[in-house]
Amino acid sequence: MTLELSQLSKSYGQFEFGPVDLAVDHQVLAVLGPSGSGKTTLLSLIAGIAAPDSGSIRLGGRKLGGLPLEDRHVGMVFQEGALFPHMTARENIEYAATTSDRVDELATVLELEGVLDRKPPTLSGGEQQRVALARTLATDPDMLLLDEPLSSLDAPIRKRLRDELHSLFESLDIPVLYVTHDQRTATALGDRIAIVRDGDLEQVGTPSTVLTQPTNRFVARFTGNENLFDGTVTDRTADEAMIQFGDVQLQTTASNLSASAVTVCIHPSRVEVEAPYVADGDRTANTVTGTVTRWLNEGSEYRVEIEIDAVSLALTANVRPPTFERLALETGSEVRVLIPQESIHLIPERE
Amino acid sequence: MTAHSSRTRSAALRLDWLTVALILGGVLLVYYLAPMVSLFLSVPAGEVISRMGDPTVVNAASTSVLSASITTVLATAFGLPLAYWLARTETAMKNVVLAIVVLPLVLPPTVGGVILLTVFGPNAVVGSAAVAAGVPLTRSLAGVVLAQTFVASPFIVVTAKAAFEAVDPTLEYASRSLGKGRWTTALRVTLPLAGPGILAGMTLVFARAMGEFGATMMMAYYPRTMPVQIWVSFISLGLDSAYPVAILLLVIAVVALAVLNTIASNPWE
Repeated sequence: MTLELSQLSKSYGQFEFGPVDLAVDHQVLAVLGPSGSGKTTLLSLIAGIAAPDSGSIRLGGRKLGGLPLEDRHVGMVFQEGALFPHMTARENIEYAATTSDRVDELATVLELEGVLDRKPPTLSGGEQQRVALARTLATDPDMLLLDEPLSSLDAPIRKRLRDELHSLFESLDIPVLYVTHDQRTATALGDRIAIVRDGDLEQVGTPSTVLTQPTNRFVARFTGNENLFDGTVTDRTADEAMIQFGDVQLQTTASNLSASAVTVCIHPSRVEVEAPYVADGDRTANTVTGTVTRWLNEGSEYRVEIEIDAVSLALTANVRPPTFERLALETGSEVRVLIPQESIHLIPERE
Repeated sequence: MTAHSSRTRSAALRLDWLTVALILGGVLLVYYLAPMVSLFLSVPAGEVISRMGDPTVVNAASTSVLSASITTVLATAFGLPLAYWLARTETAMKNVVLAIVVLPLVLPPTVGGVILLTVFGPNAVVGSAAVAAGVPLTRSLAGVVLAQTFVASPFIVVTAKAAFEAVDPTLEYASRSLGKGRWTTALRVTLPLAGPGILAGMTLVFARAMGEFGATMMMAYYPRTMPVQIWVSFISLGLDSAYPVAILLLVIAVVALAVLNTIASNPWE
């Protein structure tokens, strides 16, 4: 079963969605973008809630365009669950299920046995989403659409349900489109990620590709690449290139970029912060020195802003707590930042 | 300290204002209740009950209950689809349609009767054809129902519209994405959720139809409904003879109110 979108477009007043071309087979595509970027529009068009202005939607070769919602066999889990409030959890699932065995089976998989006889308003947010998921899966859909099902949940429950979804999705043999504005959820659940902006797909790729090799500044910023500098390629060989931004010279691995004016993109989690003076001399390549200007404890790591010496460039680095404590970092600390060649990504555009 | 005492003073002031409002409003309440109590006190209970069995009272009551029931069914059958359309459509036409629905509510019922007679009267096109077919639309139960439906049906449209609007369309999308068609979705999701509001609308239609007088007088003086019977009794025999039917209608009104405040959702709460 493969979902194929071809030249799909829809406009609402000023907002233009698409045209979008996309193919999703038995995998999870996480659709990531800011609010108002057209993520929900994409789902609405596939589910049949909205009709496209042009383009086609095929699922396993079957044309979905023009079919009413009920004939599409496309399962959709809505943002707040959209459970029927006048039915118990069991009745909600039974509404969709063909057999009562299926209800019990799904209740077991999604750990719902204890809440089946309760009405939705008495269930917690996480339980409501699990019931909604069970209800949708009970129809054995040909594909699954999820519209930010975790966004209204508290962090611990969200994390737990995200883990559960991950294993659930692996057991499904259908295309899954998972819409979210949360990068962590997208990278955790998606086999691939599609970045959406103003109704267009900016980049589609594996989580690691999208995170480390964004194709433009928007994708870079949206996936947490805070370090974006206007740079120039000064020298290029078959498998290496020299780039310069400000007074900083760095070496990168092979790049097939032909442009010389580039955006240098360095993800904060892919640099190493070290003490300013080191004994072994072989780790001085691709290093810059600077002063800590600000730091923030973000829980699992520290976000450290470093003013690079001699140029007015601020570099952000994520530092793990053990390193942060070993270096006794504080505002004003002198540091050395190692930027591995493979951590430098070049985007062929400048702001 | 100063801030605290000034807050207390303003709270006291607010309370005073509320008391004043209640006293003024209380005048109105007394004005509503006193005549109703007086009605019950005007006639000895035993006499009222014995006069309830009078053929004119029984006939009027059965005509009213039958016609109001038919009116409620008709108004619901045609009013619910219109209410649903009004609740879900986004066209600008919506306000025009809503204005047309509300028109009979603000139109004096006797004017409604005049308007209806221009279509259904024995000399009008539809009316004369109906007479020829043997179903006269005036001076008949059909005439009563037509008059009541014109005046009372807007209640279910506006009340059910609000009830449908309160049902999140996402629930309908969810139902349909689960493979259920529009009809199943309407029967199992939309209608149950809008149920209390719809029941309130039906109750209001029934109560209004029971009380319909102006348009009914014009369309069908016979068979006599309860309000018409009250008028006839009052004119021919005096106020005393109008009491039994009036009390009956008052009881029905109280029952309707009880329905509104229990199983139905009171639209004015």
